[in-house]
Order: sequence, then structure tokens, then C-alpha cells
Amino acid sequence: MDRTLRTIGILVVFFIAAPLVIVVPMSFSEARSLQFPPPGYWLGYYRAYFSDVTWLQPTWNSILIATVTMIVTMALVIPATFALVRYRFAGKKVADLMMLMPLAVPHIVMAIGYYSFLGELRLVHTHLGVIVAHTCLSVPIAFLVLSANLKGFDQNLERAAQSLGASPLRTFVHVTLPILRPGIIISALFAFIQSFDETVLAIFISGRNAETLPRKMFDSIRQEADPVIAVISTLLFVVVLIALATPLALNALRQRRRAASAR
Amino acid sequence: MSSYLQLSGVNKSFGDFTALHGVDLAIEKGEFVTFLGPSGSGKTTTLMIIAGFERPSGGDVLIEGRSLSGLAPHERNIGIVFQNYALFPHKTAADNVYFPLQMRGVDRTEGLRKANDMLDLVGLKGFSHRYPKELSGGQQQRVALARALVFEPSLLLLDEPLGALDKNLREQMQIEIKRIQRSLGVTTIFVTHDQSEAMSMSDRIVVFEQGVVQQAASPLEIYRHPSTRFVAGFVGESNLVPAIVSDVANGRAESAALGRCSFAPTSRLAQGDEVALLIRPESIRLSPVAVGDHNEAEMRVETIVNYGDNALVIGQVGELQMRARILGAEVGVKEGETCHISWPAEAVYAIPPSSRHSAT
Repeated sequence: MDRTLRTIGILVVFFIAAPLVIVVPMSFSEARSLQFPPPGYWLGYYRAYFSDVTWLQPTWNSILIATVTMIVTMALVIPATFALVRYRFAGKKVADLMMLMPLAVPHIVMAIGYYSFLGELRLVHTHLGVIVAHTCLSVPIAFLVLSANLKGFDQNLERAAQSLGASPLRTFVHVTLPILRPGIIISALFAFIQSFDETVLAIFISGRNAETLPRKMFDSIRQEADPVIAVISTLLFVVVLIALATPLALNALRQRRRAASAR
Repeated sequence: MSSYLQLSGVNKSFGDFTALHGVDLAIEKGEFVTFLGPSGSGKTTTLMIIAGFERPSGGDVLIEGRSLSGLAPHERNIGIVFQNYALFPHKTAADNVYFPLQMRGVDRTEGLRKANDMLDLVGLKGFSHRYPKELSGGQQQRVALARALVFEPSLLLLDEPLGALDKNLREQMQIEIKRIQRSLGVTTIFVTHDQSEAMSMSDRIVVFEQGVVQQAASPLEIYRHPSTRFVAGFVGESNLVPAIVSDVANGRAESAALGRCSFAPTSRLAQGDEVALLIRPESIRLSPVAVGDHNEAEMRVETIVNYGDNALVIGQVGELQMRARILGAEVGVKEGETCHISWPAEAVYAIPPSSRHSAT
């Protein structure tokens, strides 16, 4: 029984890790297209990526779109989460449902909808069009993360702050916001990643002008299977790793410093 | 002549449910008053109305004659210690205590000096740089107290602050809170459902039940002369014997279980009133033979619980269960035996019928 479980566990880990194990070596490959195992190793495709504007432009587009999407998403989600978690009002159930709707609707259906809708507004093939569509997808994810945080927030902390002389606004700035900050950061990170990752809507809406990185990768793999894709995948993996490891490292550092100062 | 803090006709309803029925209270400057009652009795609701977190459905709260009704919680200058302390987890002990001063525009150097002085007063010298999660429950409690006092509030509210502490620590904190409260002279309202806490700490106890103030009096007065059966049962142990008043002037009543009984005469009774005679367990004596007085009865002993320094004897007198507390461990009877119990007439208090009480 124990052994079976362990085998299943190892298999699961293997399948999760397999893409990385394959992609990272391929990015250093000498082969002219994606090939595993690589016949030899060099850094040529890294050089190619960083010098090719047809790759750098989509990269920049993606970063810009994901950043703006993240900002707009959080501007909508933070007040919405407070309203939906803390207050009762008519139509709250419907609002809750609408908030989460984009998670249930298939992306391809949304893509077709946005394509015609944004077409009317002449926003197809623009950054703004992609940002609008991506925000709609990011909102439910950011909302789920943040509402879980807010539900666990002890409202007595706000009452305490007010009894101590803080107006509602100063209570929010000095108490609510700092305590919720980790939840807000994670929520924003999810919004960013969701947009940075998204392919289906980008294929329909982004066009040549606002071409995002996933769309460019998708086109490339269909046409030539350029190993630069493996380079980008590896770089993305490293970026995500840093993003995840930084808070942990900072926490560990802070705790060590605190332990040292307490002594 | 008005009191320092005054509640006049405070009502509160939540939808169909009425949480408070016309609460009237007057509290003097420097007083330590306890709101005592079971959960849902309205004591915490009253506290939240004073603090400004709940709006009364009717009535008013005044401090030094000025109504608080137009003031938001942050404008009231009232310090509160919550049951779970509600310390800011992202601030150190000193910064927690500095917070109310910061909100009042005190600069950081001066504010932190005051905060540290206050932490010294509550016995937390040297802990100012700790974060709340690095402090024990009792220490967090002290930080919360320092934070609620550092800005010299006009009122200190304590909402079951000792509920989360273990028994020894709780007794220690009771003494601490009293010491600090006396040294600063701050008017204090303490909410609890623990009657021994209320007895040991308060200048005055206000007993709540079902949104109504049952009695507001000194701890001893509440213990000796409870105004209702509920108060008698809630504060301390009690034997409540149903009886009918037969002689008001001399204090005589007829009880089905005990026969004719004497009680300490009071003016609030009339012939034929259905009263409850309160006999506290510690005023009952046990003896092997009858003493020859009408304040006695024959009891079949059922259970003896020995606490070392005292013993609780529970038995039946006819249909009525009676409890006696005997000092020392030597009871003199065994379970299953029969003995005589007696009590002095002046230890019997006749609780007037409840309808009469609410009319006065």
C-alpha cells in the first residue's frame, strides 16, 4: 500500500516536472528545430532571442498588457471584494455569480464574443482591446484569492483602530491595507500571470499590432518550431521561480533578523 | 446633578429581535462597573452602543452631560480591550501602543517614550520590540490594555478580556487590571459572564438578562439582596425555596417543603405574595439532631463533594433539593444518611415576585 502510494506520488511529480526537464535542455540545443535529446549545446538561441525584434516586440507587448491588466483588475477587484464579502445588499447573489462567470465560460466562446463586440468598438488588434478582454478573465481569479484573504480578516482590528482614534480612511491605510498586503500582492500576481499566459483570446484579438508572446510562440511552433520557444519557456520559468522564491527568502531573512534583535 | 456616564432609555432591535429594552444607567467618574450576564443578554450590545459601533434604536448615551449620538467611534475618545485583544499583527508592541498617539498627531519620539512608559506600567518592560505573535496570551492582554489607556481615554471598555486566559493567569490579570485602573482612576466598564470575576473586581455590578437590566448594585448587595430569582441563581450558589408570605411585619412565610420559615423583613412585600426564599449554601449548618427552631428541616444526604478546604453537601428535603457548604473537610454525615439542617432567619432573603419588581 505504502509502496503503491509512493510510486503514484513519484509518477505525479515526474509528469509535472517533465516539461521543464525537456524544455530547459532544448533551449541550449544546437538543433535547428525542437528536438530531444539535443545533439549538442550552445547559447545561440538565447542570442537570437535577445537580438530579434520579432520576438522582443511581443515580449514587450505582453509585459505592457499584463501590467495594465493587473492594475485595472486590482482597481476593480479590491472595492468589489470588500462590497461582496462585507456587505449585504439586494442582488448580491447575482453579483457574486457574474463575478465568477468568466471562469465557467469556455475561452473560445468568450474570444468569439469579444472579437465581434470589440470589433464594433474598433478595438480589435489594439493593446486596449486585449487589456479589456484579459481584465475580464483576471477579475474572477483575483477576486477568489483576495476574498479568501478578506474573509479571514478580523474586523475587530478595524474596530480597535477606530476606537483608538483612526478615521475610517486612516484605519484602511494604517491597518486594513498593510495586513491585507500579502493577499493583494498574490492576487495581483495571479492577475498578471493570467494575462501573460493567455493564448486563446490573444490569438483572436491581438493581431499584428498588439501581438502577445504566447500568440507569437503559437504561430512560431505551427510554422517553424523555432527553438527560441524553448529559450522563452526557460526564461519564463526562471522569472516565475524568482517571483515565488523572493517572498519566501525575504520572510526567512526578516525572521532571522528579528530573532537576532530579540537576543 | 448628572452622573459622568449616563444611558437613558437605550433600546436596540435587530429586525424583529429586541436586544435591549430601555436600559437606564448612571456611572460615576472613576467607577469600575461590571456588566454581568449570560451570552445574548445584551451586555455586549450595550458596550458596542457606548463605543459607537452599534447605533441605538432609541435613547441616548451621554458623557458629562454631552450626547455621544453624533460622534463616530474614532471621535469618542473611548479605549477598548477586545476579547481577542485585536493587536495589530504588523506592528511591534511599542508601535501598537503608539498608534492612538500617532492618530492624535503626537510625534514619534515623544509618542514612543509615552508608549514605553505605559508598557512599563502594565509590567512589560523590555518587550516593546516584540511583535504580537511573539508574546504570550497574558502579555498580549497587557499590550492591549496599555494601548487602550495611553491616550487617557474618558472611558475604558473591557469586553470579556480574560476569557482566553487559563485560570491562574486570569486571577493574576484580575488583580493587575484593578491595580492599573485604580492608579489611573479611569472610569471602567468590564463585560463578563463570569460571576466570580464580577464579584472580585467591581465597585458595582449591572446584571443583564434578555436585554433588561435586572439589578445594578454593589457586589455584596447583589449577593445578599438579589432583586430577582435570575440574579440570585446567576450570582453565587443559591437555594431558592418557593413560599407565600403570611406575616409581613415579622417576616414569616409558609413553604410547602420547609413549613413555616422566617426571613429578614423588608418593606417591599405584601401578605400573600409568592416569594422565593434565598438561603445561601454557606449559611446552612448541619447537625445530627434537631435544634428546636422553625428554621430547620430534615435532609436526606445524597452527594458530598469534598474540595479540601470546604465541602458541598447536596440532599433532599421532601421534594426540594438543598445545598450546603461546610467549611473544612469534616462534614459529620455520610451519603445516604439523614441529618438536620438549620439556618439563621436573618440569612434568609425573600425575593419579591418578579412582576412587582419590574413595576418599581
